[in-house]
Amino acid sequence: MKRTVGIVGGGGFGRALGRAVVRGGGHARLWSRRQASPLDGVECTTDMAAMAGCELLFVAVPSMHVAQAADALGHHIDGRHLLVHVSRGVVGEGLTTVSRVLRERTPARRVGCLAGPIQARTLEDGVPGGGIVGSGFPEVYEAVHEALGGPSLRLYQTDDVKGTELSSAFVGLLALAIGFARQLGVGPGALAVLATRGMVEASRVGVSLGGDERTFSGLAGYGDLIAAIAGDGRPEIALGEALGRGLSPGRAAEEAGAYIEGISIARNLQRYAARRGIEVPITDALADALEGKVSPPGVIERLMSRRVRHE
Amino acid sequence: MRAMKNLLTRPVRLPRLKPYVPSPDDPPIFWFNSERQDVVRDVVRRVVDRLAADRRPLEYALNDVAYEEVKRLESQRDDEARASLGTWRGMIRKVGRMSEAEKRDALQSICTRMTHDIAGNFDPRVYRFSTGMLPQLLTGIMKPSALPEELMSLGRRTHVIDEMLRTEGDTAHLRALAKKGTLVFVPTHSSNLDSIALGYALMREGLPPVVYGAGKNLFTNPIISFFMHNLGAYRVDRRIRAGLYKDVLKSYSTVMIERGYHSLFFPGGTRSRSGLVERKLKLGLAGTAIEAFTNNRVRGIARPVYFVPTTINYGLVLEAETLIEDWLKESGKARYIIEDDEFTQVDRWLAFFRRLAQMESACVLRFGRPLDCFGNAVDPEGHSLAPDGRAIDPGGYVSLRGTPTVDPKRDAEYTRELGQQLVDEYERETVLMSTQIVAHALFRRLVKATPGVDLFGRLRHRGEITVDRAELAAEVGAMRDRLAGLASTGAVHLSDLSLRGAPETMLDRVFSAWGGYHRRTIVLEHDGKVTAEDPTMLLYYQNRLVPYAERIAESPDDLAAAQQIARLGAGT
Repeated sequence: MKRTVGIVGGGGFGRALGRAVVRGGGHARLWSRRQASPLDGVECTTDMAAMAGCELLFVAVPSMHVAQAADALGHHIDGRHLLVHVSRGVVGEGLTTVSRVLRERTPARRVGCLAGPIQARTLEDGVPGGGIVGSGFPEVYEAVHEALGGPSLRLYQTDDVKGTELSSAFVGLLALAIGFARQLGVGPGALAVLATRGMVEASRVGVSLGGDERTFSGLAGYGDLIAAIAGDGRPEIALGEALGRGLSPGRAAEEAGAYIEGISIARNLQRYAARRGIEVPITDALADALEGKVSPPGVIERLMSRRVRHE
Repeated sequence: MRAMKNLLTRPVRLPRLKPYVPSPDDPPIFWFNSERQDVVRDVVRRVVDRLAADRRPLEYALNDVAYEEVKRLESQRDDEARASLGTWRGMIRKVGRMSEAEKRDALQSICTRMTHDIAGNFDPRVYRFSTGMLPQLLTGIMKPSALPEELMSLGRRTHVIDEMLRTEGDTAHLRALAKKGTLVFVPTHSSNLDSIALGYALMREGLPPVVYGAGKNLFTNPIISFFMHNLGAYRVDRRIRAGLYKDVLKSYSTVMIERGYHSLFFPGGTRSRSGLVERKLKLGLAGTAIEAFTNNRVRGIARPVYFVPTTINYGLVLEAETLIEDWLKESGKARYIIEDDEFTQVDRWLAFFRRLAQMESACVLRFGRPLDCFGNAVDPEGHSLAPDGRAIDPGGYVSLRGTPTVDPKRDAEYTRELGQQLVDEYERETVLMSTQIVAHALFRRLVKATPGVDLFGRLRHRGEITVDRAELAAEVGAMRDRLAGLASTGAVHLSDLSLRGAPETMLDRVFSAWGGYHRRTIVLEHDGKVTAEDPTMLLYYQNRLVPYAERIAESPDDLAAAQQIARLGAGT
């Protein structure tokens, strides 16, 4: 008999996870701050204590709210629970990963993340897709696979949680940059340069934070970025395009229709890299553009005029 | 002649006419001798069973151990080689023809020999003698002038050594936990004196004695060997590279912790060569504590295991000169066992201790907050605490669907995460000494004065940085104030002299300590000026400040220099 799977967060991704669990024959319990609209087969609650009965818990809240959600959840869980987050963010100037926040603010230790080219729609409609579970604990992967895996979803596994989380966060940022460049009329060749050099930049920072370089070339990195460029309806691309049209970050986020983690990551990543002496020209240009320090065409000019070196 | 040689190379035990019968209040280690045989049998059984269940044939393990031992003994060319080389060569020749039963017997016999060689001893008489006499003995070495006074007042509670070795941290909490579960001390490691300093501190604070693995090279001094062997130390021969030996060693540690023996590991594995607080830990033995906890839970035994992160902080480090040179030599990085350092030279001991005796709190040993195997804080009742202060059952971490299970991969991940937490705890629990602060001020000046130069280039700038003493004192004072600010948030700790001493006094004491002990001239004073003579030694002492360098920088120049200094610690 399948066990009840808990989902913390009633946003689009949380609800899609609930549907996917139910479609796979499981039972899902979804917590949200406000009473969620009913969802077929999913038990909805606003009582966090009810989540203690679920051994596997997905945390599906944006990184800016993770600390708060973790504090609330932390009152009710213990070492038996397995936590898996789906956030694409990192927290603060130290680029703290969400799994670290969960470990620090809850007693759970068996923590992991679900990343890669999985979108809410993939889960909701059951269209073929794949993703990656990052966790050093084999039972976390097994539990996620049992809850979500099936004929339409291939789930791979990696021990490199940090690399997976950082890849996922930086891909969000790169997707934003690509939407931005596309809006400015940048062609496929230059987009390819932007994507490739952007991933190199991301892996440079990721490795300095303890991630494995290979993870950035896998599903959580390039795999996810290819899905974004191929047009999986990623809100980050829409946000980048809105920014490219000259909208303010606030307006652009509103237009893209979702909270997008890339905006805060750009500035934090830029500061972190400066402190560590890591070169991140794409992030620098993007962060400056988001703060209005450089005009959109100025960003392209700045990047294209850099001295070309050995790859 | 042979008997004499054995006396010097093998641990000596005192004869006993009738076995010691421990009282119920004795610490667990007092029971060790009566359990020793049983422990050895348990270890051998586990290792042999595990290998028999392995998918690789027993022949593989036997071949590996024989090959590694032949390689080691051929290079040793000593008595041990003469006695054993033939046996190992014979093993390689005949292992292919052995039946499975013979292979198992051979494995059992090798494991038994190895375990007997590792297993320590505990003699309550030696312990009582040590508790009574060690303060006077240490005083005799460190401050001979105070010895007559010490001897006249035998039985008094405070000794000269107590002024020099200071203990910090909540020891009452640890005493309470020692009754609830098994303590595993995990200290930083700078010097071979660490285990002696920690052993004495435990005794003085009323904490139980611990078992710990000591390198076999430390057993070459017959006096040290006698005390270490009879006070619970087990012998680790780092020359043996065979995987089987590591298996036996880990199983020994697991069995000891399962049976409730309080233990000590140095997670750094070896003394910090650079002077940096350990950031990369070797967690094999720490993993055995988690394994022991899990094994007990699976058997229904709820005895908790508590890790105690501990920092051992010296104003002067006995072996500093050898250690830092070793770190700097590329080839030296592979040198794991140093047999010819200051620890083996009696004149260096005397010079060191006499100089230490003039310093206030020459060694500060700080016990951090105890943690359960999963990094949770623990209350004095022994309960694991969630971040919100709620008591939780640590058994949940090793359970799946409500049942405790053995899962080595899971436990390896817990160990890795615990290691990360220990690194953070070390940083917070470090006690900064005045020698380190003064060295950082001078080294930061050197970095600022040599832009674009790499570390080795900088170390060649001997005697090129000169500063007015008053200016240096002001800089040290400002640096100390910033560190005190960090200390007030709990990010680090400062020794008494570092916290309260006038900067001028700090400089006096530091220069006198360096000048009186180290053979190399670290700084020269002349006409109110101070010259940094030996950047390598300054690097060693200042390295303790690497994690805080950026946070105590005042000007942008200081910050740029601090960032370069911080990068020194990134790869270690």
